[in-house]
Amino acid sequence: MRKKRTCRFCDAKDVYIDYKDEKRLQRFVTEQGKIIPKRITGTCAKHQRQLVKAIKRARHLALLPFVSDSIR
Amino acid sequence: MSTTKRLYETTFIVNASLDDPQIDGVIGRVQDTITKNGGTITALNKWGRKRLTYPINKKTTGFYVNIEFEAPGTVLGLLERSFQLDEMILRDLTLVLEAKALAARKASQLALQAQQTQMAAEAAAAPQTREPLFTEQPGESRQ
Repeated sequence: MRKKRTCRFCDAKDVYIDYKDEKRLQRFVTEQGKIIPKRITGTCAKHQRQLVKAIKRARHLALLPFVSDSIR
Repeated sequence: MSTTKRLYETTFIVNASLDDPQIDGVIGRVQDTITKNGGTITALNKWGRKRLTYPINKKTTGFYVNIEFEAPGTVLGLLERSFQLDEMILRDLTLVLEAKALAARKASQLALQAQQTQMAAEAAAAPQTREPLFTEQPGESRQ
């Protein structure tokens, strides 16, 4: 039986995902800048909502790109 | 009239091609807008010049500033209007610091303090005499 993948934020007992922490947020964004769905990262729904909000705020402040060219 | 003060946080990007004293002038004006209208500034973080991930107004670098302040709600409208009017400020983001954010901040501060005290304790107990790794016994020979 494969072990159920748990949410990274729930394990760390994170209450708030900060939009200023772009290094942390980059792990949840593809090379093209797209947000990775939670079925792939294993994040729970509650934290995914907070994460998406933080990513969109970071995009507004040019800390993360909206679209970035992927190397082809 | 009840003026309930709330904690807000604003992050804004200043035009990086300005000189340092000019940038400080811009930041000073923002601070004045807050304090003159009944707010108190609790923290001011200058992140410095950073590369933008996409050009804003055809510029590729910006000077990021983060201000935390406590103020009644009337200040926000004035503050955001002043950001719009100031040509040297490229982008801004103003948020209310909600309970979760404050809780996370407290937790991280406590963790930092705990780490510091632990490091201080380790430094105090550091100089210990090392035991020799090999003790040569007379008569032993390598084969």
